[in-house]
Amino acid sequence: MNTKDLIRKWLDNELSPEEFQAFKKLEDYKELIALDNGLKQFKAKNFNTDMELERLTSTLKKKSKKQTSWLKPLLRVAAILAICFGTYYYTTTLETSLKTLTAQKNTINLPDSSSVTINASSSLTFNKHNWNDNRIVSLKGEGYFKVAKGSKFKVNTSAGIVTVLGTQFNVKQRANYFEVTCYEGSVKVEHNLKSVILKPGNSFLVIDNNYINKTPITRTTPSWIDNESNFTSMPFKTVISEFERQYNVTFNVNTINEEQLFTGSFTHNDIDLALKAITLPLNITYVKTDSTIMLKSE
Amino acid sequence: MIKKIHNTICDEVGFNTFFKKYSKDLHDFLYYKFGNHLNPKDKVQEAFIKLWENCAKVQPEKAKSYLFTIGNNLMLNEVKHQKVKLKYNEKPQKHHTNENPEFLMEENEYLNKLQTAISNLTEAQRTAFLLNRIEGKKHKEIASLLDISTKAVEKRIYGALKKLREDIKEL
Repeated sequence: MNTKDLIRKWLDNELSPEEFQAFKKLEDYKELIALDNGLKQFKAKNFNTDMELERLTSTLKKKSKKQTSWLKPLLRVAAILAICFGTYYYTTTLETSLKTLTAQKNTINLPDSSSVTINASSSLTFNKHNWNDNRIVSLKGEGYFKVAKGSKFKVNTSAGIVTVLGTQFNVKQRANYFEVTCYEGSVKVEHNLKSVILKPGNSFLVIDNNYINKTPITRTTPSWIDNESNFTSMPFKTVISEFERQYNVTFNVNTINEEQLFTGSFTHNDIDLALKAITLPLNITYVKTDSTIMLKSE
Repeated sequence: MIKKIHNTICDEVGFNTFFKKYSKDLHDFLYYKFGNHLNPKDKVQEAFIKLWENCAKVQPEKAKSYLFTIGNNLMLNEVKHQKVKLKYNEKPQKHHTNENPEFLMEENEYLNKLQTAISNLTEAQRTAFLLNRIEGKKHKEIASLLDISTKAVEKRIYGALKKLREDIKEL
C-alpha cells in the first residue's frame, strides 16, 4: 500500500493494525503526528447539549406566550365578521328598495320599462336579478304602477296579491284598507280566497273586512299623482289618515264621528286650504297648534 | 387508499431529540468555520428557534440541511472581512522539570505557526479538516452534515493537510 493510501486511511481512522505499523514507518509519520497533536489544542470549547436545550426551551416558551394568545381568537372573530358582513351585503344588494316618508312621493323605474310611483309612507321592494322572467314587487302602502308588456307582473301586499300583464293600476294598502284600481289593461286581484279581474275604471275595495262597491271612475290616473286626494263616500278616518301622511300632522278627533262618510278632495300643496276642504263639508271646526290639529263639532 | 399523514418536526419530543442529535455538530461546524468571536453558541440557539418557527413548512428529512443553512447564513450576516483566529487552549501546566524552557518555547512557537496556518485555509478546507482531525468525524459523516459528496470531503481534507504542511515548513 502506498503512502497516499496509508495517509488516507489514517485520516479516516481506518487503518488495520498491520497497516498502522506500516504507517508508523513512513517518513512523514513524525510530522503528521506532531500536526495532529497540535491540532487537538484547537478543539472547540465544550458544548453542553443539555444546558443549551434548556436555554432554547425557555426562549421558545417566552416567545409563544407573547404572540399567539391573542392572535388566533382575533383572527377567528375577524373571519366571522367578514362572513356576516359578506352575507349581509350580498343579500341586501339582491333587493332594491324604494321608501317614502310622510309628505313624500317617489318614482322608480323597474329593470324593464315599467315604473312605479309610490305615495307617502310607502315602500316598494323588488329583486333586480332575473327581472324579466320574474317580475315581483312587494308593496307597503300605495303605489301607482305602469307595467310594460311582458311576463306576469305581481304586486305582493299584506292584504292581497295583484297580478297584471301590462297595464296601469293603483294599489292602496293601508291599515284595514285595501284598494286596487285598474286604469288600463286588466288586473287580477286575489284577496283572501276571492279572486277578481278588474277592467279599466273598476276598483276592488275592502275596508275593515267589508267589500265596498265602487262606481267606475273616469280618471285615467289616480288623483294623488297630481297632488290631490279624492274621496267618494269614504269613512272620515281614511281621509284623516291620508291627510296625516301628506302633511306630517296629527289629528286629535275628540268626539268627532270617524265613520261618517265624506265625499270631496283636498290638495297636498296648501295645508290651510286642505283643512278647510275636509272640515267645512262636515261642519267641523279645527284649531291648529304646530303639528297638532284639534277637531270639534260645530 | 390510505392517506399519508403529513408529519413535521413540530412535536416537542421529536424536536428535542433532533436538537440533542445535531446541536453540537452545528456548533462545532460554525466554530471551526468562523471562529469563536462571533458567538457560535448563540447562532445555534437562533438557528433552532427559526427552525421551530417554521417547523410546519420544513419536511423532516430536509430539517438538518435547513438547520445548517440557517446557521451558516446567520453567521455570514455577521462576518466582516476578518481573519479567523482560532484560539488554542492553555495547556495544562506540567510539573516535570525535564522539559526545559526551550522545549516549551518551541512548542508555543509551533502552535502559533499552526494557528496562522489554520486561519489561512479556506473555510471549506478548514471546516472539513478540523471536524475530521479534532472531532474525529468520519469522511462519510462530514459529507452528510455538509450536504456534499464523500469525495468532495476527502478532497478538502487532503487539500487542507497539504497546505498546512507547506505553510508550517515555510513559517
